[in-house]
Amino acid sequence: MLVPYSWLQEFIAELPDVHELGDLLNGLGLAVEEVTEYPGAPAGTRVVRIEEISRIPESDHLWLATVSDGESTHQLVTGAPNTRAGLLTAFAPPGTYLPSLGVTVEAKEMAGVESQGMLLSPRELGVHEYAGGLIEFSADTALGTELSELWPGDTLIELELTPNRADAFSLLGVARDLAAKLDVPLRHPAAGLDQGDPSVEDGLRVDVQDRQGSGHFTLRRVDDLQVGPSPVWLQRKLSMLGLRPRNNVVDVTNLVTFELGQPSHAYDVRALGEDTIQVRRAREGERLVVLGGDELELQASDLVIATPALDGSRAIGLAGVMGGEHYSVEEDTTSVALEVAWFDPVSVRKTAKRHGQHTDAHYRFERGVDPALPPLASARAVQLLAQVAGGKPHPGISVAGGFSGRPPVRYRPERVHFLMDFDVEPTLQASYLERLGCKVVTVEEGVWEVTPPSWRFDMSIEEDVVEEVARLHGYEHIGETVPVMHFVPPATDATHRKLREQLAGLGFQEAISYVFTSRAELERSAAPPPVVELANPQGAEKSVLRTALYPGLLQAAALNRKRPGVALFEVGRIFLEEELERLALLVTGNWWTDTWQRGRQADFYLFKGLLESLARRRNATFELVPAQEPHLHPGISAQVLWNGEPVGSMGKLHPTVARSYELKDVYVAQLALPLEAGTIRYRDIPRQQYNERDLAIVAPRDVSYAALRELVSGAAGELLVSVEPFDVYEGAPIEEGRRSVALRLHFRHEERSLRDEEVDGFMESVVAAVREAGFTIRE
Amino acid sequence: MREKALEEIRNASDLQALQELRVRYLGKKGEITQRLKSLAQLPPDERREAGKEINQLKTEIDTAIGERREAIEQAQLQARLERESLDVTLPGVGVPTGGLHLLTKVTNKLLDVFNSLGYEVVTGPELETDHYNFGALNFPDEHPARDEQDTFWTTDGRLLRTHTSPMQVRYMESRKPPFKVVVPGKVFRNEAVDATHEAQFHQLEALVVGERITMADLKGAIEEMATALFGEGTKTRLQPAYFPFVEPGAEFAIWWQHPRTGEYEWLELGGCGMVHPEVFKAVGYEGVTGFAFGFGIERLALIPYGIPDIRSFYASDLRALEQYRGEV
Repeated sequence: MLVPYSWLQEFIAELPDVHELGDLLNGLGLAVEEVTEYPGAPAGTRVVRIEEISRIPESDHLWLATVSDGESTHQLVTGAPNTRAGLLTAFAPPGTYLPSLGVTVEAKEMAGVESQGMLLSPRELGVHEYAGGLIEFSADTALGTELSELWPGDTLIELELTPNRADAFSLLGVARDLAAKLDVPLRHPAAGLDQGDPSVEDGLRVDVQDRQGSGHFTLRRVDDLQVGPSPVWLQRKLSMLGLRPRNNVVDVTNLVTFELGQPSHAYDVRALGEDTIQVRRAREGERLVVLGGDELELQASDLVIATPALDGSRAIGLAGVMGGEHYSVEEDTTSVALEVAWFDPVSVRKTAKRHGQHTDAHYRFERGVDPALPPLASARAVQLLAQVAGGKPHPGISVAGGFSGRPPVRYRPERVHFLMDFDVEPTLQASYLERLGCKVVTVEEGVWEVTPPSWRFDMSIEEDVVEEVARLHGYEHIGETVPVMHFVPPATDATHRKLREQLAGLGFQEAISYVFTSRAELERSAAPPPVVELANPQGAEKSVLRTALYPGLLQAAALNRKRPGVALFEVGRIFLEEELERLALLVTGNWWTDTWQRGRQADFYLFKGLLESLARRRNATFELVPAQEPHLHPGISAQVLWNGEPVGSMGKLHPTVARSYELKDVYVAQLALPLEAGTIRYRDIPRQQYNERDLAIVAPRDVSYAALRELVSGAAGELLVSVEPFDVYEGAPIEEGRRSVALRLHFRHEERSLRDEEVDGFMESVVAAVREAGFTIRE
Repeated sequence: MREKALEEIRNASDLQALQELRVRYLGKKGEITQRLKSLAQLPPDERREAGKEINQLKTEIDTAIGERREAIEQAQLQARLERESLDVTLPGVGVPTGGLHLLTKVTNKLLDVFNSLGYEVVTGPELETDHYNFGALNFPDEHPARDEQDTFWTTDGRLLRTHTSPMQVRYMESRKPPFKVVVPGKVFRNEAVDATHEAQFHQLEALVVGERITMADLKGAIEEMATALFGEGTKTRLQPAYFPFVEPGAEFAIWWQHPRTGEYEWLELGGCGMVHPEVFKAVGYEGVTGFAFGFGIERLALIPYGIPDIRSFYASDLRALEQYRGEV
């Protein structure tokens, strides 16, 4: 919310300077977002009246206008659509510098006519962004007045208000908090104004059929209005807030919205059937064209302002959100029924949301408008209508409902010390609360009843009251202590730090991808189809939650495809029927990059070796079992057994998938977390030497190494301590479809050295078993 | 003969030549050996004198050969070392260099700080329910406070957590106070993405509950974190603010020396406050108080290193990722 400094001064006479004010506001929890300078009208511009206009024959849109500043007349060319004789507007004579355009106005010839200066739109004048026509001044504006005096600059303080502080969404609200903090008087713009007499008949009838939707409703009649431009002071106030002045009646209601925080709406009395306003829920499917021209189809839960009509009752406004198009103020309106009411926040919120109508009124009602404010705000509005639009307020007022006050909060002053750990004298606490508008009553020793003011929605429990006292006293009084606590945190590794560091140490770079992806991306990477879909995504490419972690790494590899090699890992969550934590790994291209020496290409066994190294480091067992995965090469893919448990898959990316990412040979793994680490198990270092024997088995190609190892291990006896392959060979002289796998076997007895004959015996058993299985020994 | 032998040994160019000289003079049929044998033909009184002389010569030749051998071996070693010398200025093999993501490093540093202060570390689900993200955290239904969270909803009515605070509730549901816990993790906001805003980012949340925790304990905890991160001389500032799950609530800022400009300034970091009684009620706690604070991790990674665009953290361009090496 924007707060012009000079406007705030109208509420508090002795206002601190802007710098100090900023600190005070921040200290009160009214966070200052930005302080900017509002420029005001440039020097040299002044008020003129257009005396006469004529079309320029050579142009279809330009006028030749004669303007007068009261002393002299000037002829100039303008193309503004609202150019008309009698209009009071802003004039920049030649030589005027216009900062908003960055130009100096010059006399020049346009369409064959001499133009002695420029008539200005609000944007050209630099006071507002509107550029659709000339600025229009009210008839009582003195000709020739320097606009820099009439429309001076100001300092704008932009506040970022939290949604609980509905009370502060107005100049009054901000000033009220400041006055309480500074302990100075506050000038209330509606103080002492005539609020109208409900007992005086004004001919209007108010029929609130839904008291829950509107607990406090006032309607006041103002006659003899002359709709026209607002006076400069009013236009300036609205312009500083970024609002575009419309006409004096609408401008007054807008001013009161921002000044007091009370939205209101003026209905043209001519639009009312039987001079009656109704507040009711809409009929399902009822239609309403709102200001701005949108036609809405209403629902039964929408609260509307309505009026009797031939067909029963017709909606003329969306309560607390926006008025109807044909029932509000027009140029020829002379009598209005001014609605100033309180509407239910939830109802307004739902309606505004449903119809996409976000207005200054809705914004305030959904946060909460002071339910006691309508009579005061109505008085202020009719006062202004009388002042700026010549209106005659009716002495009567129609009122429905009211506000009976907020329930008191039981409060113990010692709770300030209990929660804040600083002391505030009870008398000072009471003073703070009273300055904030609370009523404080002592009910017993150390226990008060604090009744919040009507404008505070956020004081319902004791802690709320503590915060108010602390806020006014100042959070700078909070000390710094360290609690003594008997708590020993368990030494867990919830974020998998060790694993990540081990992977980085192995040579993998960590990446972090988005959890959002697209259906197409999952399809392209042959990942499971999406399970969780976003209802309000940021575009189709971020519309579902990832069902696998490796596609993110594929995208990363594709992005980095110009690199000789890429090795990545990511730890993250995937979203299937359950949310699961996963580790993904990817290697492609060179593992060792080429330098002046040749590097080394990544391949399946390199990738496997890296994972085996990781497993050894964590003292876990690691085995692969051939298994198919849609995204993997059918012949180069496996299930990973970590400590014997299946934890995921690894293999070569399916060439079709790789091609869709314009990648070549890619190796990926995706494993469940945590990858448990084994504990340290120490065994004595063997005293005995091992006996070594080599053996080459020729078997069909599809007999796996694992199968051969099992065959050999099973036959070699208990003294076999290891089997390792040292050569795998296919080709002549070995028959097609078969291969030779050379194994090195180590035998050892823990107590004594083995004799050659003993080992020969073990080997004979092995050879027999191999032959038994139908394989041959390569001599 | 002596002169000749010593001369030949001095001139021996390699170990083989030296070996030949040893055989020629000291071998079984060598000249010295022959002379020793011929001593037997001399009369006894001459024999002693001559024997002494020959033995002396033998020792002298033996020593000379030994010395020469050492000299040759030394020269050969020198030659070999020279032969083996490498151009050490050529680069080494292109071994891959892995590394952690900057956000992980910054998180780890924060976790180290909180570990040292005795906090437990837990993580929680990113896909959450309205109950944990809002309801149990005292966000009223149909309240504008929910709008400020810019929530990503799923078509089945769940949501991506908008803060790490749901873990406050989940943690408390399964533990008993007192405790100190921190929760790092991803959070999501459906707001316009630009150089300083991402739809996905990271937060760290701290929660401390005990018999009588105060707002001063909260400020003390933030101050301890700030000191551990930025060193002595930091200050902490609390200003009133609103978060539905705390009361009183505050925003906190840390007085720090901006690592790039060198200027001291307030770094606005996050929100904090005393755990709201409604939150305790939602988890069935009674007779305790607590504080919570939370903040975004990205800012602590962006500002110190002058990284211009938050989106680069998730783009996985190795030219960026590889710059996150070294200590944070």
